[in-house]
Amino acid sequence: MIKLTDIVVKFGEFEALHNINVHVKEGEFFTFLGPSGCGKTTTLRTITGFIEPVSGKVEMQGRDITRVPIEKRNIGIVFQSYALFPTMTVHDNIAFGLKIKKLKKDEIEQKVKTIARKVDLTDEQLAKAVSQLSGGQQQRVAIARALVTEPAIICMDEPLSNLDAKLRVQLRNELKKMQREFGITTIYVTHDQEEALTLSDRIAVFNKGYIEQIGTPNEVYNFSKTEFVANFIGDINRLEGEAVKGLHLDKNRHHFIRLERIRVNRPKDEGEYQTKGVIESREYYGLYIKYYIRIGDQSVKVIEKNDGINIYDVGETVTVGIHPQDVMSYDA
Amino acid sequence: MQKTVSSPGGKRDWLNPSLLYKIFGGVLFAYLFLGFMVVPCLNTLTSIFTAKDAAGNTDPLAVIRFFLAGSMPSFVWNSVKLAVCLVVTVNVVGISIVLLTEYFDIKGAKILRLGYMTTLIYSGVALVTGYQFLYDSNGIITKWMVEMFPDINKQWFSGFNAVLFTMTFACTSNHALFLRNAIRGIDYNTVEAARNLGAKPFKVLLKVVMPTLLPTLFSLTVMTFITGLCAMSAPTLLGYNSINPEIVRLAGSSVADEAFPQARAALLSIILAMFTMILLTVLNHYERKGHYLSVSKTKAKLVKQKIQNPAANVLAHIYAYVLFIIYMTPVVMILVFSFQNWASVRAKVLNPSEWTLINYFGTQDYQYTRSNGKTATRYNAISGVFSNEKTVGGIQLSFVLAAIAAALACVIVVVAVNYIFKNKNKKRAVVVESCLLFPWLLPTILICYSFRIFFNGEVWYVFNQNLYFRENVRILIILAYTVVKLPFALRMIKAAFYAIDDELEDAARNLGASGLVTFLKVKLPIVLPSVLAVFALNFNTLFTEYDMGATFQKSEGTTYAMVMQSMTNEEGRDSMNMNASGRRCASTVFIMLVSGLILYLVYGVGARDLGERLERREKRRRFWRKITGRAGKDVKA
Repeated sequence: MIKLTDIVVKFGEFEALHNINVHVKEGEFFTFLGPSGCGKTTTLRTITGFIEPVSGKVEMQGRDITRVPIEKRNIGIVFQSYALFPTMTVHDNIAFGLKIKKLKKDEIEQKVKTIARKVDLTDEQLAKAVSQLSGGQQQRVAIARALVTEPAIICMDEPLSNLDAKLRVQLRNELKKMQREFGITTIYVTHDQEEALTLSDRIAVFNKGYIEQIGTPNEVYNFSKTEFVANFIGDINRLEGEAVKGLHLDKNRHHFIRLERIRVNRPKDEGEYQTKGVIESREYYGLYIKYYIRIGDQSVKVIEKNDGINIYDVGETVTVGIHPQDVMSYDA
Repeated sequence: MQKTVSSPGGKRDWLNPSLLYKIFGGVLFAYLFLGFMVVPCLNTLTSIFTAKDAAGNTDPLAVIRFFLAGSMPSFVWNSVKLAVCLVVTVNVVGISIVLLTEYFDIKGAKILRLGYMTTLIYSGVALVTGYQFLYDSNGIITKWMVEMFPDINKQWFSGFNAVLFTMTFACTSNHALFLRNAIRGIDYNTVEAARNLGAKPFKVLLKVVMPTLLPTLFSLTVMTFITGLCAMSAPTLLGYNSINPEIVRLAGSSVADEAFPQARAALLSIILAMFTMILLTVLNHYERKGHYLSVSKTKAKLVKQKIQNPAANVLAHIYAYVLFIIYMTPVVMILVFSFQNWASVRAKVLNPSEWTLINYFGTQDYQYTRSNGKTATRYNAISGVFSNEKTVGGIQLSFVLAAIAAALACVIVVVAVNYIFKNKNKKRAVVVESCLLFPWLLPTILICYSFRIFFNGEVWYVFNQNLYFRENVRILIILAYTVVKLPFALRMIKAAFYAIDDELEDAARNLGASGLVTFLKVKLPIVLPSVLAVFALNFNTLFTEYDMGATFQKSEGTTYAMVMQSMTNEEGRDSMNMNASGRRCASTVFIMLVSGLILYLVYGVGARDLGERLERREKRRRFWRKITGRAGKDVKA
């Protein structure tokens, strides 16, 4: 569907993207994930045509679009700020692209009404100014405007970043639902790993203009290819000292384990390494409890389901168990 | 939008229309900048050093020698004296009115604020003549004062005192706008914190509130100083020998009357320009250092402070209302007397039994007794604003000139700012911006004087026309108005362009809109309220503008303010035009109405966004539905 081959982008002397290779499949929800300044938005803007690469090729449905002007790429965009035109009504915002294409008035009306119904916008809301809508409604307008011209793919640049936490979760679910309903190939940019994991079919993790790993949420979380990915996705412990020795791990490599993989006060499994630890502190999250446990000269973070019974006090000595296969190791 | 080393669009083609547009735009901009800003002003500068002596030889230092030997430095000294005194008085009154309405809890603050803000709709020549109406030797207030204190000097309202008094109250508009905004921006938590730490109210005002206002006060001080230096209408009408009126006088003089009149005028305007440049450089340097911005994320709204000491509270209230009376008296008196007949206006005695619209509409014959005892009639001698040919002519001319110039300034600046934003961080954008700010460095009088002298002859790049000749002077006035208003328009419209999110432009392009369509349908509608506001404010000031009109003084270019000035002169001539005072009052009321209406349209209607407008429309619809629904029921009943 969309294929990037050896894309290099420079801003003056600064190389922002180094040989980026991505292949997004038809109907896929594909996420570019990474910290700010890693090149994810630059890659998206290269696809949409706002940035022309110094070298490399952008292909869409087998056609080279590297030098094709923005408006001829047939790509819908939902911007971070939604970029809704403040001087137009909701209706006029959605109809803007259709008017530019010089469609007939009846056709425009029909298309606007159809897409508005699909994204749950009422006729009353269509007559309103965008400033009169809530954040969630504005997002739906932005999606409707991007979809009404029937693009081949839709690109979203951190569309949830301006919203409060509760609304973000709510709209995340709506977004996924809509994407499934429309069945449109979607490229999504975010720095929020939780958003990426919950929404995506596949994720490309960016770092300093490179792609560190492309994979399903499960692959990037449980089988992180690089130390950066392991650290960036979710919370993790780096094992040192006593644990490394006890697990017979290579001292010249870095070893990590996810918080939920460490077992507390459980019967010993076959091959499991167990040691004693002392609860240093705990954080209560409701659904689960996070413990900071001192093992020898290091403190590890552990997450335990809050069952209301097995809650450990600070200062209590517990047994900590680690399966060697849960440890992710990387070259130093 | 981010830019890469190579931009979409491909190779450069000399027949590429966009490149041709750019070349045409560049050439046009250079023509306008060099032809109507740089060359005339340079001509003024060089004229100082190319003056010829009696023998016809060029003597580069003749003008300067003449300047130093004669009485010329006194004009500079007078202007500086006025500027320094104004800085003190305007700041005292300006800070007072803002503190009294925004910081202290003074009863009736809303009404007081309205009174203090009357200078926004009532300024320039209208204000000066209004003050004359009250305070000159024949003025209402002076008369009252003489009745109460017979020994008082009836002529007190002339020269330096009158100019200082008038300008003190005329120049607080900027305080009323900008200092008010600054004080409203103060985080009240800082005041509470200071109180909590043991500071007394006066200490809080001095140590917490005032320091945050200092940057704004500094800017206002510099602007007031420049206003004082460049004062024109007040010194001219009230008789004070400062730089600007002298430049205008010299510009109209000839070598037959005195030595080097034009070159001396040029020297005075250059001196003024040097002062302005130094002050603006200082201001710019100071502004770059930054302002004291609140670091608070949750700013608390300022709560008005009660003056705890009862005596101080009473004194503050008295002070507030005395200021209110000073601000409001001219406005009320002018309004009231504009509906009185010529005899009342002339005698400045209110006649509550006789009200008339003659000062606005219609004409009336004037009968009077001659020295030989016979009665004579002067037909149509008493005429209203809208029936007096000269006044209507002045209004029409000022309306057209101000509208064209204000529109031109907006169009030039909108196109330029769009270019500046498209070329952000590039040298060419800085060059365009600097060129548009260039007139800010120069006093208005220098620009107008330069225009008058330079274009008073055939100039090749304006098609060998003499732009100061007959009706051509109107073009010259439009050009001067436009040039002078460019910096203000640039500052305001540039600020509006900052509100345009880059993503909006990207979104429009993504949806297929061309650069022109994006500009017209997306960007322009966003900045349009600001552009219209700039247009309206520029129109407002130009409509009653005096300084430039006086510099270009010519019968074909007699603007509204000049007509008003001539009314003042006519009043001096015994019985020549007995209702000029009444017409002047009516003219001032008309100006206040126009200015008030424009300010309402700009800040009342124009400031509403689409959401507010739709909400209001919906409310109106509901209201009418309710009315028509009821009416229907009534009919049925």
